[in-house]
Amino acid sequence: MKTGKLSQMTSAEEVLETVAEFSREAHSFYTDLVPKVTKNIRYLVEDLARAELAHVRMLSDLVKSPDMRDHLKDAILRPEADRRFSDAVQAPELGDTPDDQQVLQYALAREQVALEEFSELAANTPPGLLHEVFSFLANEETRQKADLEALYYEIVHSGGV
Amino acid sequence: MGNLRDVLSPFTAWKHLIETPVTIRNPIGREAADGYRGFHQNDIEKCIGCGSCEVICQNAAIDMVPVSAPVDGDSGLRPKIDYGRCCWCALCVDVCMTGSLTMSNEYTWVDADPDAFRFIPGVDPKPWDDMEKGYRREGARVLTGAERVEMGELPPEARIDNFDEIVVGYTREQAMIEADRCVECGLCVATCPAHMDIPDYIAAIREGDYDLGLQILYETNPFSEVCGRVCTHKCETACAARHEGDPIAIRWLKRHIVDNVSEDRRLEIVGTPQALPTGRKVAIVGAGPAGLTAAYDLARQGHAVTVYEAQDKPGGMMRYGIPEYRLPYDALDRDIAVIAAQGVTIKTGVRIGREIAMDKLRGEFDAVVLSIGLHIGRSTRIPGTEGPGVEAAIDLLARITAGEEVPVPERVVVIGGGNVAMDIARSMARLQKRKHGAVGVTVTALEDFAHFLADREEIEESFDEGIEIVDARGPQEVVRYKSGKRKGAVKGLRTWAVTSIFDGQGRFAPQYDQGDERLHPADMVVEAIGQAADVSILGEDLTEALEWTRGRLAVDPAGRSSEPWLWAAGDAVHGPDVITAVADGHRVAASVGAMLMAMGEVAR
Amino acid sequence: MIRFEPDRSQYPQPGDDGKLEIDLETGKYLKLWHGPNHPGITGNMSVELTLCGDEVVEGKVHVGYLHRGFEKLMERRTFIQVFPIVCRVCVPEPDFNEWCYAQAVEELAGIEAPEMAQWTRTLILEMGRFNSYMMAMGGIGGALGMGVIGQWMTYVRDLMLDRFEEMTGARIYHMFILPGGVRGHLPEGFAGRMEEVLATAERYLADVDKAMFTNAVFKARTKGVGVIDPALFEPYGVTGPNARAGGVAKDLRKDAPYLVYDQLDFEVVTETASDIWARAMVRRRDIDVSIALIRQILAKMPKDGPVMAKLPNVLHWKIPRGETYVAGESSRGEYGYYLVTDGSGYPRRVNVRGPSYTHAMALLEHLIPGTNIADVAALMVSLHTYPPEIER
Repeated sequence: MKTGKLSQMTSAEEVLETVAEFSREAHSFYTDLVPKVTKNIRYLVEDLARAELAHVRMLSDLVKSPDMRDHLKDAILRPEADRRFSDAVQAPELGDTPDDQQVLQYALAREQVALEEFSELAANTPPGLLHEVFSFLANEETRQKADLEALYYEIVHSGGV
Repeated sequence: MGNLRDVLSPFTAWKHLIETPVTIRNPIGREAADGYRGFHQNDIEKCIGCGSCEVICQNAAIDMVPVSAPVDGDSGLRPKIDYGRCCWCALCVDVCMTGSLTMSNEYTWVDADPDAFRFIPGVDPKPWDDMEKGYRREGARVLTGAERVEMGELPPEARIDNFDEIVVGYTREQAMIEADRCVECGLCVATCPAHMDIPDYIAAIREGDYDLGLQILYETNPFSEVCGRVCTHKCETACAARHEGDPIAIRWLKRHIVDNVSEDRRLEIVGTPQALPTGRKVAIVGAGPAGLTAAYDLARQGHAVTVYEAQDKPGGMMRYGIPEYRLPYDALDRDIAVIAAQGVTIKTGVRIGREIAMDKLRGEFDAVVLSIGLHIGRSTRIPGTEGPGVEAAIDLLARITAGEEVPVPERVVVIGGGNVAMDIARSMARLQKRKHGAVGVTVTALEDFAHFLADREEIEESFDEGIEIVDARGPQEVVRYKSGKRKGAVKGLRTWAVTSIFDGQGRFAPQYDQGDERLHPADMVVEAIGQAADVSILGEDLTEALEWTRGRLAVDPAGRSSEPWLWAAGDAVHGPDVITAVADGHRVAASVGAMLMAMGEVAR
Repeated sequence: MIRFEPDRSQYPQPGDDGKLEIDLETGKYLKLWHGPNHPGITGNMSVELTLCGDEVVEGKVHVGYLHRGFEKLMERRTFIQVFPIVCRVCVPEPDFNEWCYAQAVEELAGIEAPEMAQWTRTLILEMGRFNSYMMAMGGIGGALGMGVIGQWMTYVRDLMLDRFEEMTGARIYHMFILPGGVRGHLPEGFAGRMEEVLATAERYLADVDKAMFTNAVFKARTKGVGVIDPALFEPYGVTGPNARAGGVAKDLRKDAPYLVYDQLDFEVVTETASDIWARAMVRRRDIDVSIALIRQILAKMPKDGPVMAKLPNVLHWKIPRGETYVAGESSRGEYGYYLVTDGSGYPRRVNVRGPSYTHAMALLEHLIPGTNIADVAALMVSLHTYPPEIER
């Protein structure tokens, strides 16, 4: 599977699987992090874990949907961002006892990668169901990133109160 | 001949028989003059429910009735007019603070129900609601003063090389004129976090009764001298006078009262606790406005209060965060002296969590109040922030207050657009002027001027003092010298232009123009973005035992935490200013006091 | 001219106390209430007449039907709240109250109304005087059976009320002269429309001259009737047209100029006979003076400028201790406000000097005995009195 990622073309199924894996990894990463952070900022990590879990569920529903089934084998151009995407899956770099700002910065970086991936996928697919799916996912990531940024501003830039 | 004329002449009146009658056959429907004082209209969105119309009406024809939920600056009340009493003098229109109340030129209204003629203009729909014509007040309102009495200030050149207080304060004459403008609507009382009785203390100024004024101040705020100088004065944004004019200078009037009562007289008026000692003990962690307010209240209830303060002097952020030119230390000391006179023990230089553990306090006291403020300065954590030459504003301000030596390079860049950023910029400017003879401070803020967080007057005064403020810049990197003699030293701050900072819903969503990159040269970068509370003093176990809500200690509306012996107040839980902390202090003291009373009942 | 000459020996004679001894039981006398519901009465008051035949032997004036306690009400109102009340002290010429009160308050509070306001106030007072005279003209005609004069004058007055309406926002109670100034500027094109009214008025007044003043009946019924001996002017406090009809050339507009009267050109109108005719004639000629003054004011007044002085916050306006008396020449004579302040937010005392107080009570009671019942209405109207200013 690793080598497959290096070729130019890939299938929709594979892309969606990579994406789901990304979220699954993230979910377990955040879940592991929960007990490590102090209780006062635990809500942040818990929220992030919940969001990733919701993401995983959404993707799995998507793959199972009858409309999607016909398109799963469609070949699509592998996104440039895919490399960084895989990196994010592989290399979560966050200290043992991160504070709220570190957690948020990490989460923001992840959202950025996901956003770029989906945007590129959407751009690479012709109009149709797959295009719509990727566009939807890109929008979803944009919204989540906006939420995180607002939270970041609230916590870091406005006195913490 | 004359007699004959006298007989015949009257018959000339008959010529009117062949003239067109002048009588209006059907006067119903005749349009009144453009400026006729007909039935009332009220622009319900513009109206703030201040009730000035109700006050001025000599017929008592107007009742203010609730029509919506009150919000800051709007009581939610609207005038209901009784046309059985109204005399259409239109004084209500003339006095209207917002210009929302007007009159149409409609004057016929037929209804079989006499109660229909009591109505709420603008709320009860009427055919004349949208009529353009009718009585409008000509020009600005003249029945209540519109312009604020200007406050005297030290000119920039006289203040830039020292920390002398800038604001001069009102003279009695000035205060009288300013106090006269108040319409006593009380919108400010609702908005003030401590619900200070503003109209009444302003009335005391008009009466020249400063003793009474001080007494009123102390009913709700033991930090009136401080608040008279540095309050964020939300009251003034709710002030009815701000519509079509300047808001009343409530903050300066408060200061004026305290300025006019000597320290001795103040102690006399406030007095000492009248309650018998209860034998209950309360520990308060942090001698800031919230902690000391709670201490004041609890001491006056007869409880023994000990306040622990990590710094060398009490006052918290009021002393260590606010520069002296805005709040002289002796003004703060006078407020604290009154609190200390209530028998409050203030132990300074004691850091809870280090010298004394929270558990110990829990064991020795009946209740503990945590009022620790926000003393950790946040960092942007952009590349280059680690290392020498980058400082947190909050630390620098504290060190300046403590009289420590702080680095004063010729060029300083401040990151941040709030009042703390202005405080450090202006403090550094003063130190630079002293040391180098010139000011070299640049403030870079994410926000554009339209969304600036700092008060307008802070921005204006900063400009006056020669400080450069560059708005809408997103910090990207603290650039350091890569080689040479100064290798590793700060070279400047690299920023991108911010094209927009908030999205359609007003949420933070910065958009940068990476093409517009600038390097602001600096020898030191000061970060003045956000602040956080140092909750590590609680210790791991207590932190784990307590309930939290989105990063903050969870407290009930009275300020009590999930641990029955621990309350929290001030910036760390509510924030973000002195008056909110004072309000919080009162709230917590009431809750603690109630618990201690209950304990007393049980013991008996 | 045929005049009824009664046998005066039949009349009641004064008793020891100087009062007439009227014994109604004798059947010689008839009590007749003239008003308050009577078309021949001036407003809401009444005169209790005692008749012997058709000659009036005694008249007692009864007032109080309109009493609303204005002066007391004012003591319970803030200085600004008094403003809407004062106009109600006199319905046909309310503006004098507004001006006197505003002027008194300004004097005690140390405020001066701007020039524009002074001119506008003068204009309003002359318009009010004009209207008041319209009622007087119509009234005297009506009292002598010439109802058409009343109809004409009512029409002309209505036209002037239209000007009041567009200028002040109200027809009767204008409430335009605030302490500190006036409420606004004249509407666009006001002078032109005013000129139309004045021209119409002059046309109708020429008809009045022909139908009423050049009229054998009117002359017969007014000349030599209701004569006030000029010696009574001083003790009875007779002022205004009632005194000027007796040759007294006194007019406060000239003698103690207020507002901008010192900048205006006019003559004081007088007659000499001091009878009903002379009083009607003085008023008729004074209308011409008012018309001329209105034209002068509109021509001379500044085109723009502030209309209000800077006031303290009226919601808690306190005026220092003091007292003042402000008077002006109303259409009925000297109209004045005596205002006492005590440093509080309320007037300590307001006393209204309405000329009708003396004219309609003491003077009327003095003039009535000996008149014919048919002349009572004309006599009353010729004194031109308004009851509400009697019972403030």
